[in-house]
Amino acid sequence: MTTFPSNTAAAQGWATCHTCTKLASAELHHCPRCGAALHLRLTDSLHQTMALLITAVLLYIPANVYPIMTTDQLGESIDSTILGGVLLLWHHGSYPVASVIFIASVLVPVGKMLSLGLLCASVARKDVTRMRQRAILYRVTEFVGRWSMVDVFVVAILVALIQLGGLLVIRPGVAALAFSGVVIVTMFAAKRFDPRLIWDQLNEDALEEGTLEEGKLEFGNE
Amino acid sequence: MALSGRIACLECDLVLPMPELGEGQRANCPRCGHTLTSRPLDGFQRSLAFTLAASVFLVAACMFPFLSMKAGGFENAITLFESTLEIYENGQPVVAVIVGAFILVIPAAVLLGMLALLVPLFQGRNAPWLVASGRLVFGLSPWSMVEVFVIGVIVSLVKLASMATMVLGISFWSYVAFSICMTAAVSSLDRMYVWDSIERVSTR
Repeated sequence: MTTFPSNTAAAQGWATCHTCTKLASAELHHCPRCGAALHLRLTDSLHQTMALLITAVLLYIPANVYPIMTTDQLGESIDSTILGGVLLLWHHGSYPVASVIFIASVLVPVGKMLSLGLLCASVARKDVTRMRQRAILYRVTEFVGRWSMVDVFVVAILVALIQLGGLLVIRPGVAALAFSGVVIVTMFAAKRFDPRLIWDQLNEDALEEGTLEEGKLEFGNE
Repeated sequence: MALSGRIACLECDLVLPMPELGEGQRANCPRCGHTLTSRPLDGFQRSLAFTLAASVFLVAACMFPFLSMKAGGFENAITLFESTLEIYENGQPVVAVIVGAFILVIPAAVLLGMLALLVPLFQGRNAPWLVASGRLVFGLSPWSMVEVFVIGVIVSLVKLASMATMVLGISFWSYVAFSICMTAAVSSLDRMYVWDSIERVSTR
């Protein structure tokens, strides 16, 4: 049985419901207000996050190697990959579009996988430094995940619009499937990571340094 | 320590007193900075208004042409449904299902859930489906990607603008308005405030 820092709800045997935020005794197993399952911490959070993360990394390989779409122009087929498309747009001088696709399809997913890996590693090492920064990193990671779908949506629109008989046709590629998989799997990975694990590493020694007492609320205006 | 009158931060599990907020106030966790809860200025009025507006715009977005393209004597017009159907017919059925779910099916389900939730809460009445609607709305809303789709459409328009004349249909503008109202409605719903309100009307 793991012990929790004394200022946490888990140390009292209380669990916060993830669906409705009610604080209830974990012995109830189900939230008395909304009926969702209660856990002190997400079950097997680190292992499940890592497993999903590895899946995402593996899916990201075909997402970049295979074409995301194929253009059939007058009997000639041209495949374009995610990075190839970004480079082509850049050469044509479409810097804003190239940047949007690069951010959504490369920076966000890679950054997300790196930050989840870093968060898992820091928890596994029982790191007690820069906790608030890591909490913010987690929040940003969770927030930006859905934005990487942009490129798949662009392919959807292009495929639907460019259907000019035998002259010019755009077809979706395997990479569109792999990349959608990356987005979905990383979103699940971020959901499976329990940010409370970051703070659970504060043992009694760290608490005695006097930085942590029972909290006082901070207020702000909308 | 007693359980009643307390909450714990969802992101760091610090035990805190239950915040008593005035209208328009927000409470943050002192340790990790997570926004614990916020209280809207006007109860559920604004959320309900945005939800109703979003419903009207979503219906309109499904009824008219979405985009059309003119190039060298050819013209091709698509509806919102065709933007996912064509992927289905061109060899990537799974991608089509994913796109259709993220831009239409899940947003529509979240919208219906919000209507079922907000109409009774706005009137201060109880309804047998409040808990189910709350679970649906808060569980599914991360998977509604309407605003991401709007950015995707704009990127494709810029991409095609050099080679063809693009015509934006009524459905396109409706979808943009829908995404703005939907985002405003979803982000105006505070999880703790909504569930506290459900508890209040159901125990009365």
